[in-house]
Amino acid sequence: MSTIISSTIRIPSTTRVLANGLRVVAHEDPSAPIVTVHLMFRAGSRDERPGRTGLAHLLEHLMFEGSQHAPKGHFDDALERVGGSNNGSTWLDRTNYYETVPTHAVELPLWLERDRMAFFLPMLTGEVLELQRGVVMNERRQVIENRPYGKADEELHELLFPPDHPYSWPTIGYMRDLEQITLEDARAFYQTYYTPGNAVLVFAGDIAADRAFELAERYFGDLPAGPELPPPPAPVMPPAPNGARRVMDDDVSFPRIMQAFAVPAYGTPDWIALDVLAYLLADGDSSRLQRALVRDGRLAQDVDSYLYPTALCGVFGFVSTARSEVEPEALEHAIRQVVDEVIENGVTDEELTGAVRRVRRDQVSELATVEERADALAYAATVLGDADAVHTVLDGYAEVTTDDLRRVAAEYLVPERGATLVVVPRPGQDDEDEEAGDE
Amino acid sequence: MSEVSTVAVLPPPVPGAPPRTRAPRPERWTMDNGLRVIALPRSTVPQVVLRMAFAAGSAADPAEFPGTASLTGGLLTEGTETMSADELNARLDGLGAAVHASVGHDFAEVEAVFLSETLAEGIALVAEVAIRPTFPEREVERIRAESLDAILSRLDEPANVAEDRSALEVFGPAHPYGHPPFGTAEGIRTVPREALVAFHAAHYRPRGAFLVASGDFDTAELRALLDDAFAGWTGEPPSIGYAADADVALAAGQLVVVPWEDAAQSEIRLAGLGLDRHSPDWFAGSVANYVLGGSTITGRLGSNLREDKGWTYGARSYFLPGLALGGWLAETAVDVEVTAAAVEEMLGEMRRLVDERVPDDELRRAKDAMILSLPRYFETPSGVAGRFVTLEAYSLPHHYWDTFADRVEAVTAEDVQRVARQVFHPDRVVRVVVGAVPEGH
Repeated sequence: MSTIISSTIRIPSTTRVLANGLRVVAHEDPSAPIVTVHLMFRAGSRDERPGRTGLAHLLEHLMFEGSQHAPKGHFDDALERVGGSNNGSTWLDRTNYYETVPTHAVELPLWLERDRMAFFLPMLTGEVLELQRGVVMNERRQVIENRPYGKADEELHELLFPPDHPYSWPTIGYMRDLEQITLEDARAFYQTYYTPGNAVLVFAGDIAADRAFELAERYFGDLPAGPELPPPPAPVMPPAPNGARRVMDDDVSFPRIMQAFAVPAYGTPDWIALDVLAYLLADGDSSRLQRALVRDGRLAQDVDSYLYPTALCGVFGFVSTARSEVEPEALEHAIRQVVDEVIENGVTDEELTGAVRRVRRDQVSELATVEERADALAYAATVLGDADAVHTVLDGYAEVTTDDLRRVAAEYLVPERGATLVVVPRPGQDDEDEEAGDE
Repeated sequence: MSEVSTVAVLPPPVPGAPPRTRAPRPERWTMDNGLRVIALPRSTVPQVVLRMAFAAGSAADPAEFPGTASLTGGLLTEGTETMSADELNARLDGLGAAVHASVGHDFAEVEAVFLSETLAEGIALVAEVAIRPTFPEREVERIRAESLDAILSRLDEPANVAEDRSALEVFGPAHPYGHPPFGTAEGIRTVPREALVAFHAAHYRPRGAFLVASGDFDTAELRALLDDAFAGWTGEPPSIGYAADADVALAAGQLVVVPWEDAAQSEIRLAGLGLDRHSPDWFAGSVANYVLGGSTITGRLGSNLREDKGWTYGARSYFLPGLALGGWLAETAVDVEVTAAAVEEMLGEMRRLVDERVPDDELRRAKDAMILSLPRYFETPSGVAGRFVTLEAYSLPHHYWDTFADRVEAVTAEDVQRVARQVFHPDRVVRVVVGAVPEGH
């Protein structure tokens, strides 16, 4: 049985492609007097090479350091003066830049983005690179190295993927690679990927489609197309890690178990079924993992499951932190039992309906802002090839059946396809001296 | 590069007249039992956000059991008079509802997010958890154990240690704001179940409480549902006593270093008293803070430490409003070697705001950023709910958001300097460093 929930959200949009290849997507919603302008490039950490990890993200930082007609400090300053906000982010498959402004100021972000798409390189100096290299290294320290369990995701991905797989390294990059990135690396990455043909420009909010297309043409239509890129790599499942495992110690008080599985790519029917399964297993206090590990089992402080919406393959994960006096192996065993139970006996209609409703609840919350809707459209255009394909995903949840959930669990969440990382508290001071340093 | 040079240079666009933001106008009423309701219907997305607040924060903790308020809040969704914890959770999860309790210093809050089609059953369940929880022994012991683990885990992270220590230094051990709202391990370990039942019975009462509803609903229907759900619930909580003064005068100017072995960074906090939320200087203070550290990139702290020096990923400052007292905090995390220099630079930026009049252009930018970003505040049901929770929590005037722009616009450079002398004076803050010991201090 599949389930029907009426609260689905729509993000209607129109797409036009400019002569230089820039895809422009317009989504009109006049309910608040604001517009988001979102520029997404089909370039992320997967487009780096080993030894130069962190390059895509460092370039994102550099893009805020000024272009020829909007020099250093101008970007944020100009946007704040009109009440706008802006940011950018880098992930495995894409890099994005977005600004949300009151309706009257919609041309300002377009002018700023045009300037750094056309007139960025003259301002990219060694001094600018050094400064942002320092900021990014501090970002890595703050977000990863100075935070409990901060390095665990990175280690888990190294276990799940072979070293030549582009999802095997962290988006922020390794410290040793950040030190090596040169001005030439940054220039080459920019020239290769930051071209109209490799980008999607989304307008979302209080703006009519015709005006959006007219503005896109005015600010981006005359930019040269740039070199043609090879087509993006086809989705490919990495080889199964055959139950690879590692134990790492960290400055933490409680052990944590983390498991990950490579699964089909974002937007495929199996990915959607796995997303429902992730909610069914761990979202909500009545879910199977919450009951088995936290509420009834009393083994764990928390348990979560997640699914990456990524392009080459998805990543499905479990993460759970042990309670006092509980060994992490007990959590691992309990998680395995819950998944095996789904494979063996399936799930109920009520569980499926509740899980789909919880997915909808989060989708509705996330897509309440024009900023998030612009991102969803840009991501669908970048990863699925078409902004409107976002509806293939949003609608796909209604098609999921209990049989699907059992099938995807049996196919992808089996031990040989998984990688396991166990984080344990660092041994006491006396033991520490005897351990070899890793620097 | 050669092809790039053929692209024309376009003139920068000149924005037209900004939209004048109209804040949503809620319907307000007080139920017969004294519960204030603020309803903000708008059907932009099929969602309803409910936020219900009670004067049941950690400031009301019994002295012998710090953590009572927090445990009580955590147990609201763990079983009620008509449903076991399992039944309740199954109902909520089946609806796709998200219902969470959180406990701060002044208030305990139940926040619920529903798909609009499930509103009727959702409201009934919110009422159930807010007013009829039963604190089953078995769940009390589980939440108690989880809370104790959470207190230990929190201390694994230097940023948390810096935050907790700053509050203690500024407000002192005698004031509720000096301690985290989740209490102490000792309090949580020893508080009897009966004290939780008693705390709930005393403090979760309709008089003094309020409910903000925002999203896709019909107000008449909401009213009928609330009347039904909260029928028979009555009473008034005891008022909460706060220690009169903070110990900040004793601590001001001090440097507190918490050594942290193998720190990748030093966590720095400069903390002091802020402003009363009703202070006529609130708007001037907000503008002054925006100039100093309200924006991580363009604020003076971020400009200096991140954009000029590359020492940090971010630096910012903010007011921490409270019912009794306000706090103020500047924070950053920097490379260990530049810890002392970073503290000096931050103090220097504070001193500059005290000593020098803020230039007109910088003042203009801060005001514009604050006023013109208002439309984003009211974009989503949760955003709207948050803005009106603030009004109710601090008993601010109903027209607050309608007059916000004018109040900000009226702030002068002299106002900024006056508030800066009061709040940002380097002698009035405590310096807290978790990480390496800065040399020469």
